[in-house]
Amino acid sequence: MATSGNNIKSAKLVLLGDAGTGKSSLVLRFVKGQFVEFQESTIGAAFFSQTLAVNDQTVKFEIWDTAGQERYHSLAPMYYRGAAAAVIVYDITNWATFMRARKWVQELQAQGSPSTIMALAGNKADLLEARQVSAEEAQTYAQENGLFFMETSAKTASNVNDIFYQIAKRLLQSHPVQNPQGMILSDRPAQRVVSTTSCCS
Amino acid sequence: MEKKRANDEFEPGPILPSQSVDRFEFIKQEQNSSEGLSTSRSANEHEREERRIRKWRKIIGVGGSDWKQYVRRKPHVVKKLIRKGIPDCLRGLVWQLISGSRDLLLMNPGVYEQLVIYETSASELDIIRDISRTFPSHVFFQQRHGPGQRSLYNVLKAYSVYDRDVGYVQGMGFLAGLLLLYMSEEDAFWLLVALLKGAVHAPMEGLYLAGLPLVQQYLFQFEQLVKEHSPKLGQHFSEEMINPSMYASQWFITLFSYSFPFPLALRIWDVFLFEGVKVVFKVGLALLKFCHDDLIKLPFEKLIHALRNFPEDAMNPDTLLPLAFSVKVSKRLEELQQEYEKRNGGTLPKAGSTNRLLQAIKHKELSIKPERSNCVQKDDPSPRILH
Ligand SMILES: Nc1nc2c(ncn2[C@@H]2O[C@H](COP(=O)(O)OP(=O)(O)OP(=O)(O)O)[C@@H](O)[C@H]2O)c(=O)[nH]1
Ligand SMILES: [Mg+2]
Repeated sequence: MATSGNNIKSAKLVLLGDAGTGKSSLVLRFVKGQFVEFQESTIGAAFFSQTLAVNDQTVKFEIWDTAGQERYHSLAPMYYRGAAAAVIVYDITNWATFMRARKWVQELQAQGSPSTIMALAGNKADLLEARQVSAEEAQTYAQENGLFFMETSAKTASNVNDIFYQIAKRLLQSHPVQNPQGMILSDRPAQRVVSTTSCCS
Repeated sequence: MEKKRANDEFEPGPILPSQSVDRFEFIKQEQNSSEGLSTSRSANEHEREERRIRKWRKIIGVGGSDWKQYVRRKPHVVKKLIRKGIPDCLRGLVWQLISGSRDLLLMNPGVYEQLVIYETSASELDIIRDISRTFPSHVFFQQRHGPGQRSLYNVLKAYSVYDRDVGYVQGMGFLAGLLLLYMSEEDAFWLLVALLKGAVHAPMEGLYLAGLPLVQQYLFQFEQLVKEHSPKLGQHFSEEMINPSMYASQWFITLFSYSFPFPLALRIWDVFLFEGVKVVFKVGLALLKFCHDDLIKLPFEKLIHALRNFPEDAMNPDTLLPLAFSVKVSKRLEELQQEYEKRNGGTLPKAGSTNRLLQAIKHKELSIKPERSNCVQKDDPSPRILH
């Protein structure tokens, strides 16, 4: 996380998870407050940014939304390398996506940087009747692996801002602003000018 | 599997009365529509277009009968004509002629139907997951389980059975979708085969194979070309830690069929099918050249944004393509490919003459076979699928 000017810290965040679990939808909800029923599949990766105020400090997330299909795996490392935070997304109505999320966790534990804050998001929590992964099971798994866990819904917006807020809080805890030239977790110098939101896909 | 799309005209799609669509049947976004093309054309222009179409029809002959001979006699004329754009009403037919897919279709009667109806694919659920996420703003693909979605599913499923190593990969849907706007699903399937297996140019299946080897190679080549053609920008990119994978991987994976304005994508495809993938590099480089003076000033975040959202005038095919054609890449592309192969130790299948498919076209008895399916025994000498 890099600091520039008025207590603004930028942090690189990456979303990982199986295709169709709702990574792009979570970002779209967080960055633009929108949801679309038929979100185009992500090819390659897309970049977004969004700032978030935590008390008197501001965290600027530089978000990489990746393509989920296994075949695109070889493109992922450049996005999670050097990330301050990773959100690993699965779909609560699809057991296989939970298994895939666990693989991502393993990969990050093995290849990623140890200081990356990892969050596990059980998305599509609005589809309760189709649930295949229980919240307890995911919670237990998260605890055992030092991740923090939330069930989210990009559709209803439930817990979406919260999960990013929690990440921001944890980032600030692990790298308080009082230590300005401390960690640079974003792999580039922070920009001077910060726009509130901008995105591209 | 009836032919859903005639070559000459779009069928009227299920257009909801409240939606307005552009000339290519995309639901119009409120802002940022490509008006230039949808405004009514002047009578003069119309007449010129008619003359152009007549000329093309003459060259093609009935059902494509005169095409091959004409190309053999006057390849440069054809190249020039194609670079000016294939008339929209003949596009589907010409694409099949120049890609070699028409020959594949004729050599393999009944194969497509077999693949669609009788085979099962491990990718079926993945394909279904992405069907309504492919061109969601196009009327043809918008209707749930409508004809557009059904043919898209069939083509992708057939391909995933036909080539089980490739199977289904996200991104292929955009290629298939683009093709389906101009031809029947069987024709679209064979065009996909022609491209990925290399009927005329080097096979492109490496775009979708495990590890995406061809994407990696193209990105390597493109990065070098940027440094050579726009050294200042190349320098700026490396200072800002921008790597072509961040903006160009989708250009290659979907050959500009994803998130590029349709009128431009079509014109690129005209040339791509005839001249090969080098035009993708040329267009990429031309985009960077066109926006060079803006891009060079931008810091990382704005740069990424700009590289995903090119200004409207850059997206005008009549501006961008002449610039693209002026960029020379053929020789360097080859050298860079060799360099890449040396570094990585492997060779990907080479162009035209060496690939198996072309030989299959030359020797008709060797018509290509779909990969064997589970239901065909390994030692069964006559796959039931063919003949
Ligand atoms: N009901 C429900 N549907 C959701 C939710 N989040 C996403 N979806 C739907 O799930 C589909 C896939 O969402 P995306 O956001 O594109 O998924 P992705 O993880 O980005 O997928 P890839 O880009 O293919 O890797 C879309 O059609 C969304 O509308 C959610 O919270 N609830
Ligand atoms: Mg996505």
